Amino acid sequence: MRGRILRLSMAVLEAALAAALAVTLVACSAPTSPKPDAGEGGEKSGEPIKIGAVVSLTGTYAGLGEPEKATLEMEVERINAAGGINGRPIELIIEDDATDEAKAVAAAAKLIEQDKVIAIIGATGTGQTMAMRGDIQRAGVPQVSMAGGTVITAQFDPLVFATPWSNTIVVPYTLEALKADGITKIAVISDSGGFGKDGVAVLQAEAPKAGIEIVANETFNPGDTDMTAQLTKIKGTAAQALVMWSAGKEAATVVKNARDLGLELPIYGSHGNARKEFAEGAGEAGDGVRFAAGKILVPETYGEGTEAYKVATDFIARFTEKTGSAPSTFAGHAYDALYLIVEAAKRVQGELTPAALRDEIEKTSGFVGIGGTFNMSPTDHNGLTKDDLTLYEVKDGAFTVVK
Amino acid sequence: MQCGTMVAELLQFIIAGLKSGAVYALVALGFTIVFGATGAINFAQGEFYMLGGMTGVLLTTWGVPLPLAVVGAVMLTAVIGAAFELVAVRPIASGDPLRIIMVTIGGSVVLRQAALHLFGPDERALRPFTAGPSLRLLGAAVERQTLWVWAITAMAVVVLAVVYRQTMFGKAMRATSIRRDAARLVGIDASAMVTASFGLAAALGALGGLVVAPLTQTAFYVGSGMGVKGFAAAILGGLGNPVAAVGGGLILGLLESLTAGYLDPLYKDAVALVVLLGVLFLRPQGLLGGRGTEKV
Repeated sequence: MRGRILRLSMAVLEAALAAALAVTLVACSAPTSPKPDAGEGGEKSGEPIKIGAVVSLTGTYAGLGEPEKATLEMEVERINAAGGINGRPIELIIEDDATDEAKAVAAAAKLIEQDKVIAIIGATGTGQTMAMRGDIQRAGVPQVSMAGGTVITAQFDPLVFATPWSNTIVVPYTLEALKADGITKIAVISDSGGFGKDGVAVLQAEAPKAGIEIVANETFNPGDTDMTAQLTKIKGTAAQALVMWSAGKEAATVVKNARDLGLELPIYGSHGNARKEFAEGAGEAGDGVRFAAGKILVPETYGEGTEAYKVATDFIARFTEKTGSAPSTFAGHAYDALYLIVEAAKRVQGELTPAALRDEIEKTSGFVGIGGTFNMSPTDHNGLTKDDLTLYEVKDGAFTVVK
Repeated sequence: MQCGTMVAELLQFIIAGLKSGAVYALVALGFTIVFGATGAINFAQGEFYMLGGMTGVLLTTWGVPLPLAVVGAVMLTAVIGAAFELVAVRPIASGDPLRIIMVTIGGSVVLRQAALHLFGPDERALRPFTAGPSLRLLGAAVERQTLWVWAITAMAVVVLAVVYRQTMFGKAMRATSIRRDAARLVGIDASAMVTASFGLAAALGALGGLVVAPLTQTAFYVGSGMGVKGFAAAILGGLGNPVAAVGGGLILGLLESLTAGYLDPLYKDAVALVVLLGVLFLRPQGLLGGRGTEKV
């Protein structure tokens, strides 16, 4: 009796395996045959256009990835309601990389191999963005990153674009502001992560050109809870200002430690500090901290009545209504990444392929986004200039414009 | 550089080291208490540090006055710690330390993800216990919150010592950690003692997370990093000995601060690790651990 049941179940198992094998074989052979509608100018309306996104929804950058995801979903819904891309809806596929480079690579591979997306938005962080490059190159799919590291566009790749202001724009802008204040000697403190390292490298290259001397260069590790030792050393130098390059929560600790030590130097941060969590964390010590960032923090700086002002206030209103809080700069980077792809896809004549899309993104000219006005070229895959920046000062936990 | 400023600098490094060290000590104490009761390392200890800070922030945003919020957060985290033991650790009938360790590693992931969903992904700030500018000591600055860190750590250590030496509960805890079977024979509920040890360890971790939150902000992800530091401190001092854990925490903090001050801040974490490895090679029982080797 038991033997018969065993044999029966073995037979069922074999049949199931055989069926699975057959299905797999059919499925595998299918994609090699050309699609019937290919070459018809991608006219077939209704067939969705797949766009992938790799964002950090867990791990250290979750605070950045969450608003990015909210923005992408909200805007895709809006674009589809208005008819999609030339009549074809967008299918957005979002993957979480958990702020982990290996997971970012896996997510990119999945989007390319399984979902066959035509473009990838992401990642949230610089390390994750760079980690995906091998897969991007193999597949020939354009990538639009939302991370701020200069390396992303400096280590140039024809397929890779980035929407945030890169350090190569922000650093010279900040140095100009320092010079305007009559400062010639600065102390630098930065985190040893990608963003801080990158900023310091650009600072070291640009400071001599601006006639500014770096008299101290201190670092700390992400996750450190006390920077008193580094700041004590800076206190003993002839620095006239403290320049801080860090995007993490440690920035607030640096500012508090500095003020508690009685270090009264003016503090200049980076666009990594353009988050309300920084102002909240620094509290009273944050008063007077200056940093350069895009205009989204105070939309009036776009110039009232301009197209940029309209685009930004419109987006802020929609985002605030959906999520209950005003968008951070990171939400803006996601907005820009999505629309760079969508606008380019609309311009593609003939079949919409990843290669044709890449060419059109590179031809982007005068696109008014949240981060600024983008003008891409075969040598510039960021497309922003320092005209898209504004100098801010923290006052009572809010960001005010420095005239 | 003048001699005066050099002394002030050194003093500043020492103050910074003892500040971080005191927090490491609180987390390390949690490790030793659970190790004493179970013979296992509780890798979820860092998450209790995170939960303390995050629940404290949550309570203050609900309008709870700060002192009450601190006490409430410590108690809440203690309850979570005890509940974690009841749900995840107790079902391991054999009490095999290796299996307990694996369960706590899994538990730490669960607690971290739960915190992400409950509190959101952003960093949160707790306001200082007493507002005001920092105090001066021979040219060095001492933040008011640093005094709180020291005071609360000292208080926790004293209370713990009194409880362990003087009360019936403390004696039962010690008896359980020395020999579980014998403790059971004289009528001590050893399982309850294990639950209590998790609760107590969670409370100490939470206290650490709370006193440091006004200085550094807190977030759902801060637990694992602090767990490593606390574990290193506990090993450095010698596992199973509460006094040694406090010593280990302070030594680790000082080492880090002096490395950051006189060498390179980037080597800070590495130096601590090298010293830890050195101690493990030369004195496996820990720098201050004389007794407790029978555990190994």
